[in-house]
Amino acid sequence: MKAWLNFSPSIVSKTVISDLIKHYDVSFNILRADITPKGGKMLIDISGSEAEKGIQYLEKEGIQLNPIKKVVKKDEEKCMDCGECVSLCPVEAITIDEEWTVHLDDQKCIGCGFCTSSCPTKAIKIAD
Amino acid sequence: MKTIEEINQKIRDGDAVVVTASEMTRIVQENGAEEAAKEVDVVTTGTFGAMCSSGAFFNFGHSDPPIKMSHTYLNGVEAYSGLAAVDAYLGATQPHRNPDIGLDYGGAHLLEDLVRGKEIELVAEAYGTDCYPRTEVHTFISLESLNQAIMVNPRNCYQNYAAATNSTEETIYTYLGTLLPQMGNVGYSSAGELSPLLNDPYFQTIGVGTRIFLCGSQGYILGEGTQHATDGERENGVPVGSAGTLMLQGDLKKMDAKFLRGATMPKYGPTLYVGAGIPIPILNEEIAQRTGISDQDIHCNIYDYGVPRRSRPAVMETNYQELRSGKIEINGREVQTSPLSSLKKALEVAQELKSWIEKGNFFLTNPVQNIPNKGCTVKPLQIRRPSILVKDLKIKPVITARAEDDISGVARKMVDDNINHVPVVDHAGRLMGIVTSWDIAHAVAQDSKKLTEVMTKKVIVAMEDEPVELIARRIDKHEISGVPIVNRENRVRGMITAEDISRLICSQNNKEGDSQ
Repeated sequence: MKAWLNFSPSIVSKTVISDLIKHYDVSFNILRADITPKGGKMLIDISGSEAEKGIQYLEKEGIQLNPIKKVVKKDEEKCMDCGECVSLCPVEAITIDEEWTVHLDDQKCIGCGFCTSSCPTKAIKIAD
Repeated sequence: MKTIEEINQKIRDGDAVVVTASEMTRIVQENGAEEAAKEVDVVTTGTFGAMCSSGAFFNFGHSDPPIKMSHTYLNGVEAYSGLAAVDAYLGATQPHRNPDIGLDYGGAHLLEDLVRGKEIELVAEAYGTDCYPRTEVHTFISLESLNQAIMVNPRNCYQNYAAATNSTEETIYTYLGTLLPQMGNVGYSSAGELSPLLNDPYFQTIGVGTRIFLCGSQGYILGEGTQHATDGERENGVPVGSAGTLMLQGDLKKMDAKFLRGATMPKYGPTLYVGAGIPIPILNEEIAQRTGISDQDIHCNIYDYGVPRRSRPAVMETNYQELRSGKIEINGREVQTSPLSSLKKALEVAQELKSWIEKGNFFLTNPVQNIPNKGCTVKPLQIRRPSILVKDLKIKPVITARAEDDISGVARKMVDDNINHVPVVDHAGRLMGIVTSWDIAHAVAQDSKKLTEVMTKKVIVAMEDEPVELIARRIDKHEISGVPIVNRENRVRGMITAEDISRLICSQNNKEGDSQ
């Protein structure tokens, strides 16, 4: 599951994330993070047998958690299937099928934004 | 064997056998060219790529009192109106006049908006004459209100094209797309076996006056395009690089936005995606053989676009089968490829043209005149005043520091020699980093003692044989004030600063002033 974690200033100094990893069987990938002493947010992808418990733990510790359904969206009207984005994706989340249609794999996407900034018709959007 | 007239009669009778260039490749592979020539009457080709050299002529009609437009803007994009009174030519790559919009909305986007039937703001200025007294116009037009909107593209349908990669340490933005550092990806553009001029590589059937598919309408070939070249290297009969081009004409009023799209190559500029398809009559076995070309037979070179010079170094040769597989091996490493031109749309173009012919809505033409297939080369632009290279500059002896030097010693050097940049070198004089007077101030503020803590390790450099203009752009792009000059062994030869460059420009301007 992918979710934004919202850190209030009071939590920033706590070691919540490392405690989460120590105590629960979770796999955890930080996709984006912007945290300062004034608080901030972090986009994570969390999975594993104790992911649910881990999420409950984060919430108990005061981290507000907003699951996101889609990381990346393609406007089918604007997309010309030119494929400019394909070679820029660091995780191969963008593919071209046999009919030369471009597909984005939301599960693989890490929201890096390379494709959005390179698209000639601005057809790709990353969810905030 | 067959004539155009015979094929047209078959089209009229609904008996013509029409296949796309991809289908023809399989047919020739399976049945041979002789059989294919008997069986097939027409092969339809298609491409849908970024074709920067595109645009349209407009006639706006006369206002009352009339105006002789000298500056014309359509939705803020300037069209050239040095043509009579109310004619203008809008080029696809023209950026918006407002620098805040700039590359995001240009001529290509305007052309798409027109074709979509949108209302367009027209602003024109004039100096006023006795017969054309009006000096300004501000109104709205649409494709329908224009007397003529004629697409004329000076250079489309490049026969083949380079593929691009980037050997430098930073991402670059080019007309072949975004290129990642350290040859991290490859961009290519040709539609390969579907591409029109790769199916008729010696212009045996494609000529002046040939009727074609252009952006969803019936258009025509005006002749060879600009930069048309015929004498470059060929393999399997087709050029391995850019080569032949076409000048195309069509009626914007009949076009479909499905096959004409405004786009922006990031940090490069606006460009028009043009859908073009050319029918090739299969008059004989040789023509059938040529249309049987496959992606594997079409070769091209991958060039290093990290070298911003006219002649870019070739990295390797490849073919379109490899490029289209999505991955290619460069120097033992697998990297991803991007097509840039839409192969899906190229196929749609070829299929659409095929269905027009099958339905009897499109007939083939004999060329009015052939397009040259030999003797055309592209000359470079000779600059009267050659570029000044870094090594031509008078550079002061370089002052360097060693990594183990202490901060105060480096500060003293800067003051004594009146400089702001000190390259840090190893025992052999090889560049390790750079410190500026600002870094030294920073070090004092933070109480750092060691040079290695404050120096910049990832240094932007200049090579001795690079033109000074390139260095000026590099300094500006990275918002820095100077770069060390290094040789091939990364040994520091000097420093070039923004001040050196401004001094050079002043001295050149003075020289020119003297000679005039």
